[in-house]
Amino acid sequence: MSNRFPKEQENDMDGKAPKVAMIAAGVTKWGARQATFRDLASEAGKAAFDSNPNLSPADVDGLVASSVYPERSAYQGKVAPLLAETLGIKPRMYERVENQCGSGTAAIRTAAWAIMAGAADVVAVVGVEKMLLPNRNEVFTNALAGLDRDWEGALGVTPPGAFALVAQAHMDKYGTTEEQLAMVSVKNHAHSMNNPYAHFQKGPDLETVMASRPIASPFKLFDCAPNTDGAAVVVLASADRARDLSDAPVWMLGSGQGFDSYTMANMSRDWSYWPAVEQAGTNAYQAAGLTSADVDVVETHDCFTISEILHYEALGFCEVGGGGEFVAGGGSDYGGKVVVNPRGGLLACGHPIGATGVAQAHEMFVQLRGEAGARQVDDAHVGLSLTMSNIGSEAHCAIWGTDEVAA
Amino acid sequence: MTEATYWTVLDPFPQQYEDQNRLAPFYTKLRDGTFVTTRCSDCDEVHWPPRSVCPACMSDRLVWEEMPDGGTIYRYTVQVAGVPEGFEPPLVYALVDFDNGIRLFTAIVDCDPDEVEVGAEVKVVVRDVEDDQEGRRRVLPYFQLAD
Repeated sequence: MSNRFPKEQENDMDGKAPKVAMIAAGVTKWGARQATFRDLASEAGKAAFDSNPNLSPADVDGLVASSVYPERSAYQGKVAPLLAETLGIKPRMYERVENQCGSGTAAIRTAAWAIMAGAADVVAVVGVEKMLLPNRNEVFTNALAGLDRDWEGALGVTPPGAFALVAQAHMDKYGTTEEQLAMVSVKNHAHSMNNPYAHFQKGPDLETVMASRPIASPFKLFDCAPNTDGAAVVVLASADRARDLSDAPVWMLGSGQGFDSYTMANMSRDWSYWPAVEQAGTNAYQAAGLTSADVDVVETHDCFTISEILHYEALGFCEVGGGGEFVAGGGSDYGGKVVVNPRGGLLACGHPIGATGVAQAHEMFVQLRGEAGARQVDDAHVGLSLTMSNIGSEAHCAIWGTDEVAA
Repeated sequence: MTEATYWTVLDPFPQQYEDQNRLAPFYTKLRDGTFVTTRCSDCDEVHWPPRSVCPACMSDRLVWEEMPDGGTIYRYTVQVAGVPEGFEPPLVYALVDFDNGIRLFTAIVDCDPDEVEVGAEVKVVVRDVEDDQEGRRRVLPYFQLAD
């Protein structure tokens, strides 16, 4: 990895005991849910508290909400205190974090800082997004809210059209094929067959993915994550409280964020690579004192198939330009170099945008505690989760480890 | 869209007049067929999108400058599904590069999608979109394949 990004001193775990751990985690069933914003939060909160019988809402003194557009999809603002009341929490710090599709990981970082600063000792991170509305067209209109309204969103572009340009750039520069894109989808949908919380458990084969209806060239339906309702809750705690409340805490070893641009116009000139993802990963690796070779399991932001291919490269799991061959060779599947998206990724789980980063952390919790059942990654000790915003020009990363790694 | 039913949250298009937007001159010029952006008088930075304050030096002494007549397509896609209400697919989206260093994201209109290609030259075309809440004309810049 390059060293061109400054080290995050305040978040530096290198050689020191980590200060924050995850002690509870839960998700709802993700899908087209017959449920309100509050129903979804309640369901995820119950799942999180059920995951740790030592923990009750009275132990929690902080809350960070991750929700992108409840004002549009639920006509509900000020959701951090709403979620505190819903989950029976009386926090001494509470706020909402919003960074479009990457909000969940950004919220987790914010919760960790609150703990490190002493503002709270036990913080619930609550990711909730109601995406599907009675009028399904609103999904696409709402999608415009995360893009630059005046200069880019006004043209009617939604994420498939924008990410398709990334795919075009990568295919032109490196010869990446539509079949290789499809292999990401086949892999992640296959993983979802072992995740009862996924939106889809269909397991389409390569032929089905390749034959699915066109969306935005080169993307077909199965190259795209579906629109999905869902929620996830994780609880972070200071080291002392984590030892009090959990026999198997999952430690936050480091984290990082990267920024390239807000508008598509001002993204780095080569659209086949994501420097913001590299920056987020590099900062997180440095903070954790680890490299990509140490990582056993990855949850990454496969909103489109091409995204996961660029993540392999920017996070150091394969050579730049080699992402298509990496997935085709099984490098990112069970038995390969690193298992990427064992829960099924955004492609099969769906993408309730504020909840996704929190659900990725839930997957880290079950994988690193050996509780992932049929989708368990063997000997998983270090995990990396990454969400993005905009067209990969903003990125948010966390690295997690077992007690054994943290010691 | 009448005044009585106007909701900002349902309007995908920008406000374009002096009573709402400090960059109104961009749209005034665009309505007259001239496609411009801002240049900083202090540090000479050219911006896209246009600015009211220069992000490079925080100067507010900016001037309007015409964009080059044409640009070239860096990459494009043809979107046929998943578009918002009020937009009709197929839509051709592209990144277009100009020799003043600007790249912008735009839609290529009036074309057979099969004729679009990387490196193709394009020129600006001004299109009317929905009027604003006061019934005033609004426009946006799009691009066409150059002859």
